[in-house]
Amino acid sequence: MSLVAEAFVSQIAGKVPFIHVGNQVVSELGPIVQFVKAKGHSLSDGLDEVQKAEMKAYMELVNNMLLTAELYLQWCDEATVGEITHARYGSPYPWPLNHILAYQKQWEVKRKMKAIGWGNKTLDQVLEDVDQCCQALSQRLGTQPYFFNKQPTELDALVFGHLYTILTTRLTNDELSEKVKNYSNLLAFCRRIEQHYFEDHGRGRLS
Amino acid sequence: MAAPLELSCWGGGWGLPSVHSESLVVMAYAKFSGAPLKVNVIDNTWRGSRGDVPVLATEDNIVSQPAKILNFLRKQKYNADYELSAKQGADTLAYIALLEEKLLPAVLHTFWVESDNYFTVTKPWFASRIPFPLSLILPGRMSKGALNRILLTRGEPPLYHLREVEAQIYRDAKECLNLLSNRLGTSQFFFGDTPCTLDAYVFGFLAPLYKVRFPKVQLQEHLKQLSNLCRFCDDILNSYFRLSLGGISPAGQEMVDANLQKLTQLVNKESNLIEKMDDNLRQSPQLPHRKLPTLKLTPAEEESNSLQRLSP
Repeated sequence: MSLVAEAFVSQIAGKVPFIHVGNQVVSELGPIVQFVKAKGHSLSDGLDEVQKAEMKAYMELVNNMLLTAELYLQWCDEATVGEITHARYGSPYPWPLNHILAYQKQWEVKRKMKAIGWGNKTLDQVLEDVDQCCQALSQRLGTQPYFFNKQPTELDALVFGHLYTILTTRLTNDELSEKVKNYSNLLAFCRRIEQHYFEDHGRGRLS
Repeated sequence: MAAPLELSCWGGGWGLPSVHSESLVVMAYAKFSGAPLKVNVIDNTWRGSRGDVPVLATEDNIVSQPAKILNFLRKQKYNADYELSAKQGADTLAYIALLEEKLLPAVLHTFWVESDNYFTVTKPWFASRIPFPLSLILPGRMSKGALNRILLTRGEPPLYHLREVEAQIYRDAKECLNLLSNRLGTSQFFFGDTPCTLDAYVFGFLAPLYKVRFPKVQLQEHLKQLSNLCRFCDDILNSYFRLSLGGISPAGQEMVDANLQKLTQLVNKESNLIEKMDDNLRQSPQLPHRKLPTLKLTPAEEESNSLQRLSP
């Protein structure tokens, strides 16, 4: 569980998540989950078919809404792009590569947004979508410690990764993290996982 | 609320009120929530726009995109989700996301990208409903749009290759269909006995896949094996779209529809009975094997005896 969550957090921080096992390297969340499952550790074994379907559906919701909203905010919101993203994305490269790569990435993301119908969305509409998604997650979580009651699953890892990043990354406007902070059970969820699984990595950043 | 609501959408065929998924979602939702919609089918005159179909027009505004149209209808008090709990509402959002991420790419591929299907079925159908010379351009543009969407959401930048993602999207779609079938189980709709938004979306995505006759049918074949999903589509078609299957002579068409409906009901009843019998047989306690009496059985009895021994 901690492996998967850590891998995911490092993805959002900008590095491709990968695990190194012996002489094998497995990257990205999906294949990592499959690999760990093949080794005999699976988080969703205790779920029945209907619950597994629900879990997959919620993971898609998170990918669909939260991930796309994060991309939008990073690359399509002019203020953020100018102040933060361009500089951060191009920082490992020398001039002029840093500018070229940043513009290319921006163009790619805008193309993708247009293809899925987010091209004409304003920032407010995107924030409203995020709010809807958080509301759905909050309602699904309710008062339980994890999404499928006592045991954490892949869904918990995915949600934690996204919410943690949203809450801790400093952007030009804090509206995205404010939206998440409106839901107290989601905040408590993140704090709980951070304290439970990451406390040996230094002081938590959520408090 | 008395303002007339007009929906422009693509027309129907193969027994469906519309072959376009998004149009079908809106039409189904309108039927479920009781919204009085006047449906304007796009034909090959120059009336109406073809860009953002389906489009809902009221006196004051124009709403496009299914999600926005559904929101608008809900604000007008046509709400099919009235009886859902908060958790079910959240589940609806999640399953719709699942449909759009996992099933939609493969459906788009089947309709618009697979060359056999596109050139023999999709393109002629759409071209016949678009006035010349737009009919030469628009289907191609829709096809490119579909391909773009598949590649940009599934492909790996910077070089997008269709072949890499083809196998993956069909695998995902089949898995999604299995998940939907598991979730539906034996109930009539996804949340109880009345249809709601999720049912509209699932119907909109599945029905064209189920009914339209394609040369290349791998996903369709998979869907046909999931009998509860097929039954779901047929039920909705029969209950909500019986009379609006556009016909040439309304009286004759109604009679045909009535006959078709009777036949379908009979078939459904029969298959329900068979299912029940099957269930009963499976659940009945296993009788201990009796030694066959040495009486000579008549041929009919012998046959029924051997049949009973064969059933599980």
